[in-house]
Amino acid sequence: MNVEVSDLTRKLGRTQAVAGVTMATGPGVFGLLGPNGAGKTSLLRMMATVLPPSSGRIRLLGRDPGDYGQRKQIRRRLGYLPQNLGYYPRFTVVEFVEYFALLKEMPPARVHHAVAATVERVGLGDKAKAKLRTLSGGMLRRVGIAQAIVNEPELLLLDEPTAGLDPEQRVTFRALLRDLGQHATVIVSTHLVEDVGAACSQVGLMNRGKLVFQGTPGELTARAEGTSAAGDSPLERGYSAMLAQARS
Amino acid sequence: MTAAPPVRPPARPVPAAHRPLGGAGRLLRLEVRRNAMLWTLPLAAVLFWVLTFRQSMAYPPLWNVRAMTMQATGVAVFAPTVVGAAAWVGSREGRHGMADLVVGTARPRWIRQLAAWAATTGWAIVAYLGCVGALYGATVWQGAWGGPLWWPAAVVAASLPAFAALGFAAGALRPSRFTPPLIAVAAFLALELSAQFIHGDRSYWQISPLVAGPWEIGPDAGVAIFHPYLPDLPIAQVAFLAGLTAVLLGLLGLPAGSGGRWLRRGAAAITAAGLLAAGTAVALAGTGRLDAHGMITISALHDKADDRPIRYTPVCSQPPIPVCLHPAYASSLPVVTAALEPVLDEVAGLPGAPIRIDQAAATYEQESGNGVGIRAEGPPMSGPSPVYRLLLPNQLPGPTLTSSELVVAVRTNIGRDILADVVGVGRSADPAQQAVMAAILNTVDAETDPQVAAAAARFAALPAAARRAWLVEHLAALRAGNITLARLP
Repeated sequence: MNVEVSDLTRKLGRTQAVAGVTMATGPGVFGLLGPNGAGKTSLLRMMATVLPPSSGRIRLLGRDPGDYGQRKQIRRRLGYLPQNLGYYPRFTVVEFVEYFALLKEMPPARVHHAVAATVERVGLGDKAKAKLRTLSGGMLRRVGIAQAIVNEPELLLLDEPTAGLDPEQRVTFRALLRDLGQHATVIVSTHLVEDVGAACSQVGLMNRGKLVFQGTPGELTARAEGTSAAGDSPLERGYSAMLAQARS
Repeated sequence: MTAAPPVRPPARPVPAAHRPLGGAGRLLRLEVRRNAMLWTLPLAAVLFWVLTFRQSMAYPPLWNVRAMTMQATGVAVFAPTVVGAAAWVGSREGRHGMADLVVGTARPRWIRQLAAWAATTGWAIVAYLGCVGALYGATVWQGAWGGPLWWPAAVVAASLPAFAALGFAAGALRPSRFTPPLIAVAAFLALELSAQFIHGDRSYWQISPLVAGPWEIGPDAGVAIFHPYLPDLPIAQVAFLAGLTAVLLGLLGLPAGSGGRWLRRGAAAITAAGLLAAGTAVALAGTGRLDAHGMITISALHDKADDRPIRYTPVCSQPPIPVCLHPAYASSLPVVTAALEPVLDEVAGLPGAPIRIDQAAATYEQESGNGVGIRAEGPPMSGPSPVYRLLLPNQLPGPTLTSSELVVAVRTNIGRDILADVVGVGRSADPAQQAVMAAILNTVDAETDPQVAAAAARFAALPAAARRAWLVEHLAALRAGNITLARLP
């Protein structure tokens, strides 16, 4: 298992952002669903070694992120796209991706090729030398994805990766997700149930800091059977049914 | 993500670098390319031109004055610029909401920060070296005697990493768009204020990089001409600035999250070493003393070889009484000669007249408070064949004199001294002596006693040969005070 989480909690002020989450997942694409404030971002930040947990146990890629040496090894093998992507406006696309390749301690000799390949991979080859301040929101999101995957991570954490992408880009992105999921553990936090249905082999549903469901998209869809849950697709109805059950 | 064909990832993830500092060079190159200091370089260049270059060029082409002016004003120009730019760079992760992105990367935060600081410092040093090159190049082009003084330049250069570290630390700790201007203004005020606490030559505050010599004298044309420039205080200042840089950078590496245990221990060691260096330097500055040659000497750093005078071949005017100046002041020789010519032509060969006029070094003495006494080295006249020792007005601190101002100053002060030695004026001249001096110096004015003025006019109206013949015949009586106004021709 690349991600093993046991009874993980995190308090942010008086708010219990994550309240005893236990989960485990291996290679493949794991979709993390849930309403606003469910704790998805906090859970992802803990997995990204950005936010230390208040309690509980977490092991990533077989290593303990609480130990500095092991945390460093995890970070070398990690890709992370936060919900709000910060960027340096004067950097070009290539420079920004190269900057993160270097921060991830990629071997310098491989950086140039890896950056060029990644920029092509996210469809920004023709904008490689454009300054980030000149890019649209969707393009910036793709730059964020590029910096996350430039080191070919074994664990990729994406927080709302499709926000700002147009429908065509989202379709291509889902293909990229499936591709990445063949070799790595990809955890995608999203509001968009259709993203999960199209790209994820596993899905988790969070509500009020707790993981209230973990299974396949098919299993989530099945939760809607026999209920009058709202939704435009079977998966959405499963999502609504599961959420209603958790809240009841 | 639309048209581009998907690139297959490699079967295995890219291995991570094994060397902790691997790629740091590339990171630095990237930082250099996109550093905010680049955008402030034109501002620094303009400020340097207005505040340093023009002010320095207003002085005669003397290395000491140019270099010391450059140190005092160069620090004031570059400090706020570098502090502001570094604070902008240091605060960028916070301002741009990059914290989550960069925290989740493997390279230690301290290394990341050091790369950004080094790029800022690098650009500041490049800009500064360009400015120094322009100023020193112009000084060489103007034919200044001797060679450039590098220690004042080194003090400013050493201040740049320290100011960059200060700005960077402030920006990193308080990431806001208001931090850079606030810390730039604060640094400038602190710098200017630091020098105001200096009282005398033993002040610890002399460690301020603004101080290029005894603070009350300022850039002085009289120092480091006859004797070597003393690097004692600059050495202490460079040590202090290096220590300050180490402390500020080390502090950035101390918090948890800056790096691993060994990196943080390294940061702690650098901080401790910096504190030691800075503290020692401040203590040494407090042991400074104003030496006789106008420089601050620190006994623990002093090299006695620097006390020996610099050998030089003077430049001299033609007889009857040659005026010999230090070659650094060669450009003043025609003016000084022209100013003294009326006096020297009259007194040449007379008893008490000098056979040569030599420029003397100034000697300095610390007085109470910040006062400094300055006089010519040695007695004005000495030896059986008397040589008058001359201290030029433009050897002294103060505004630069124009040629006409220099003529007046030399004639009324030095010419009077030489003439007074010849006519034998002691504490007070008698009326006949006053009249002879006024006639030769042409200094009769409304305040002159009417009888003295009339006698002076009568004496001045004589042909030069007749005046000289009278002086040869009656000089002994005139010196003895036995000549009355009525006896003057």
